[in-house]
Amino acid sequence: MVDPALVLSSVVTALLVGCIYGVLTLGLNIVFGVLRIVNVGFGAFVMLGAYITYFLYKDYGVNPLLTIPVSFAIGFALGYAMYYAAFRRLVGAPELSTLLATFAVGVLIQELARIAWSPDIRGFTWDIGVLELAGVRIVYSKVVAALSALAVVAGVYYLFTRTRFGLAVRAVVQDPEGAMVVGINVDRIYAVSMALGIGVTVAGGSILAIYLQQGIEPYMGIPYTLLAFVIAVMAGLGSILGSLYAGILFGFFEAASFLAFSMIKDALGLDILPYVLTRSAAFFLLLLTLLLKPEGLFRR
Amino acid sequence: MASGGGLEPLLDTLKAAARKAGPALAVYLVLLAAYFIFPERRQLIATILFYALLGGAFNIFMGMTGYVDFGYVAFLAMGAYGMAIAFTYMADLGYWAIPVGFAIGAILASILAGIVGGIALRLRGAYFAIATIGVNEGIRFLIEGGNLLGGSVGLLFAGKIKEALGDDGFKMITSTGSDLILFGLAFLTVAVTALILSTRVGFALQAIREDEDAAKALGINVTKYKLIAFTTSAVLASLLGATFWSLKGNYVEPARVFNIHYTVEAIIVVMLGGAGTLLGPLVGAVIYQGFNFALNTYVAPFLRELGIHALGIHLPIFALILLAVIVAMPEGIVGYLRARVRSRVLREVLA
Amino acid sequence: MPSPLRAAASNRAVIVLAAIVLVAVVAAAAILLLRGGGGEAETEAPQVQQAEEKFAGTIKIGASLSLTGRYSTEGTRTLAGALAVVEWINDNGGVEIGGKRYKLELIYYDDESQPDRVIAIVEKLIKEDGVKVLLAPYSSGLTAKAAPVAERYGVVMVSHGGASDKIFQQGYKYVVQVLTPASRYFQSTLDMIRKLDPDAKRLAIIYKESEFARTVAEGTREYAEKLGFEIVFFESYPADATDLTPILTKLKAAQPEIILGGGHFKDGVLLVKQMKEVGIKAKLIGILVAPAHPDFYKELGEIAETIVYPSQWEPSVKYSPENTPPGYEWYGPTIEEFVEYYNRVAAEVLGKPDLGLSYHAAEGGAAVLFIAKAIEEAQSLDPDRIRDAMNKIRIYTFFGKLQIDPETGLQIGHEMVVAQWQNGKRVVVWPEVVAEAAPVYPSPVWWED
Repeated sequence: MVDPALVLSSVVTALLVGCIYGVLTLGLNIVFGVLRIVNVGFGAFVMLGAYITYFLYKDYGVNPLLTIPVSFAIGFALGYAMYYAAFRRLVGAPELSTLLATFAVGVLIQELARIAWSPDIRGFTWDIGVLELAGVRIVYSKVVAALSALAVVAGVYYLFTRTRFGLAVRAVVQDPEGAMVVGINVDRIYAVSMALGIGVTVAGGSILAIYLQQGIEPYMGIPYTLLAFVIAVMAGLGSILGSLYAGILFGFFEAASFLAFSMIKDALGLDILPYVLTRSAAFFLLLLTLLLKPEGLFRR
Repeated sequence: MASGGGLEPLLDTLKAAARKAGPALAVYLVLLAAYFIFPERRQLIATILFYALLGGAFNIFMGMTGYVDFGYVAFLAMGAYGMAIAFTYMADLGYWAIPVGFAIGAILASILAGIVGGIALRLRGAYFAIATIGVNEGIRFLIEGGNLLGGSVGLLFAGKIKEALGDDGFKMITSTGSDLILFGLAFLTVAVTALILSTRVGFALQAIREDEDAAKALGINVTKYKLIAFTTSAVLASLLGATFWSLKGNYVEPARVFNIHYTVEAIIVVMLGGAGTLLGPLVGAVIYQGFNFALNTYVAPFLRELGIHALGIHLPIFALILLAVIVAMPEGIVGYLRARVRSRVLREVLA
Repeated sequence: MPSPLRAAASNRAVIVLAAIVLVAVVAAAAILLLRGGGGEAETEAPQVQQAEEKFAGTIKIGASLSLTGRYSTEGTRTLAGALAVVEWINDNGGVEIGGKRYKLELIYYDDESQPDRVIAIVEKLIKEDGVKVLLAPYSSGLTAKAAPVAERYGVVMVSHGGASDKIFQQGYKYVVQVLTPASRYFQSTLDMIRKLDPDAKRLAIIYKESEFARTVAEGTREYAEKLGFEIVFFESYPADATDLTPILTKLKAAQPEIILGGGHFKDGVLLVKQMKEVGIKAKLIGILVAPAHPDFYKELGEIAETIVYPSQWEPSVKYSPENTPPGYEWYGPTIEEFVEYYNRVAAEVLGKPDLGLSYHAAEGGAAVLFIAKAIEEAQSLDPDRIRDAMNKIRIYTFFGKLQIDPETGLQIGHEMVVAQWQNGKRVVVWPEVVAEAAPVYPSPVWWED
């Protein structure tokens, strides 16, 4: 009843998209994990990364892969500046203040992007070939994007688990006052973490752009904000590898529920929209996760 | 029936509530007067009212408990759908469709509040915020994907209202009628907020806001009071959605009525004015909408005359101002003033 | 924990606030200076004065347009198109009522693509600016929002960017439409296919889940079944889908000969790109909205070749006074004149010389033409007389035929043209009378390997 090519293509897409979801969520998760700030303006930073890749590739012919570190650097600087300009005062402030502040930053970036680059939707083509496998075509640029996402996650994981910086961060997360007592510069840890989180988000935007190559516009990041929230909760807010696992799991969940709803539709002849229902199912999955395992599925 | 001793505390409570409600009621009365004196500004006043109520109903829960319900807009959607259902499927009720619509909306919102409250209110902080987003989006995509109630197209029912109320009834209810209901809702919201603030519920909520664990230790039934505030806020929001989106707008479209943007706007309105205060949302709404309208309809054309093309320049400016308010006055404009005004009377007015 | 933070914040509050406001003002001023074209307005002023003397007065047309927010691309072009026709009419003697000539003036405000802004703006236009006729906002959603306000004040509102059929089933008296409604979008495309290939049977419809695209899809299905097509696939995808590969794999398995669908620009481009990636084959692919944009080809390159799209209007379509169909009267600027005025308005009035011409502009312009003609026919500014006059109008313009259904206000005269990307150019291929070239069918890019 189900076409094997459809299943295979769904699996491949789930895996590739999942990696992208993972790296995007990671950016959100670093900021939350360390500073306890939910970055509602998340989408604006994703958008920024996509534009960086677009301009560097289209206007200067830079290999899109090389734009990822550039995006990271720009995001890092931006995050660092943001911390000292505003968010330093908001660490530990009520939820509402930080939610609104990050929202305002997001609006600011989006509107400036619109004024500077116009609301026109842009895209590019970076064609490096297609792999044909059992009737399913896999686009190499997507594979490369997914691999870059893995590389970024691995790098962040290394940074947080195998370096002195990572040790300091964990100390701060567990007990900010205690960390201060043992001589850790908490303020600096916060600043660098925010910079890292924003850096990863902007880099994630570049990776997303390589994956999609289309639909680059000032408001493109908004849907990814909601998506990243869901995946972050599944991961466990603040979890690094969990972000990746949850991203991939979410990719598979999307694919599986699409297949399932399609079969229900065809079998029962219902007038329903399978692809849209997968979204609904995803959000109910989120609720279920929160109900049964609020600390996330991938948290030790 | 009640003895004098039983009546007195009740009267005291009512007096306290009236004193609290006074200033906000006065401002709404001024707006009501303006509504009749300046007929060419009615829609602007109605829009400001919408935002004041959007913030006002949000404030009851968020302002008093500190919980941020990102899925708040879903309650407005419930109300909007309730009214839409009443007219779309029960147009032969005539004017009775209006109370029926409000009732359906309020019931849907209460059920939703019960479910969300039961699940999500166990969570705190960011987890609560994200869970409520999940509920909102889950319902939206369920309606769209399941092709329920018009699916993604939604319900457009101006024709049905005409069928139910006739041409003149339609004109009346989509303009002055719904505007006056908005005023009624405004008074209701102020009264309810003031009552909550002056009773045991308000004190309990305040304790929860300060320190939930301590409140629990003191024997306060935390869940009960949170649910009371949550459901009150939800029902008021549903009445607002039913009035402004359905009676006035006649169009319920899932992509719009479940748009989280409205929650964010509610937060903006509350934060600008001051969380947990009665005047706060009103002040926030006047600034938020008044500022926008003025920039848009007077400043922008004026600049255009000068040959300056600045489409949408007010949005980034607004974002900066918002950021400044959050960083410099975390308690909002009303809260900021209250903390600094020396006069006791004025302080009470701002409470 | 928040209390020391607050105390610290409040001490510095005033200074910080002042500093940030200052930054905001400076930034705003800087942006204004960067974007502005200050000098032109002054040099233009004397011209306006001269023109003024020819006219007995001014007729104001109001518009709430999306110049920022999600519809800003379309809204800005609509504005330029409407202004272009206003200027053309004024340069050609204005509008005549009772032997006197009146100048047209378009009064517009930005609604930020926000429905709740629209109602306040529409009321201001009617009550404060005293406009006699309204252009609807862009999009069906915003038009639905503005309609009750126009209806209550009894001011005629012309919809130019709201293709929805639903608005016109509500019994509004004062709302009329100049563009082809969504349900008829693909009709001319299907007619063309039938003529080219009477044997083509298997039709797939894939669309973005939105009010507009869905109405189109359902209208297409209905009409296609009437023409004897077999619908082998009929499904939608959410607006913000990241990857359409699974649904397209399913579509591929249905083995369609013809694929019609899409939604708006962003998803349309993604759809075509991923169709190629998945290896879909079809004799003809017709996509809504997206291919009409010049950037479509820029982004997709040669896979955009032979993609067909239904269009409200194309700059290259050959509507002219010469081919006016019987029963219709030519009215307004020719296409060349419209394009000339559009470019001038975009550069000089809006300060956007590189504003690409799209059908949104033509729709805005057509709405203004329809209003001007109605006022001349009514010989009055009374809304009821204007509305009655509209029922009798049958004009042929640079935008094509215009005629409304008297009962509902729905557009019944205007027809979609079919255009195709051929050798990197948008070419009108249908209907034959106004076509520039024959359609390429079946598509060598998509049908053969």
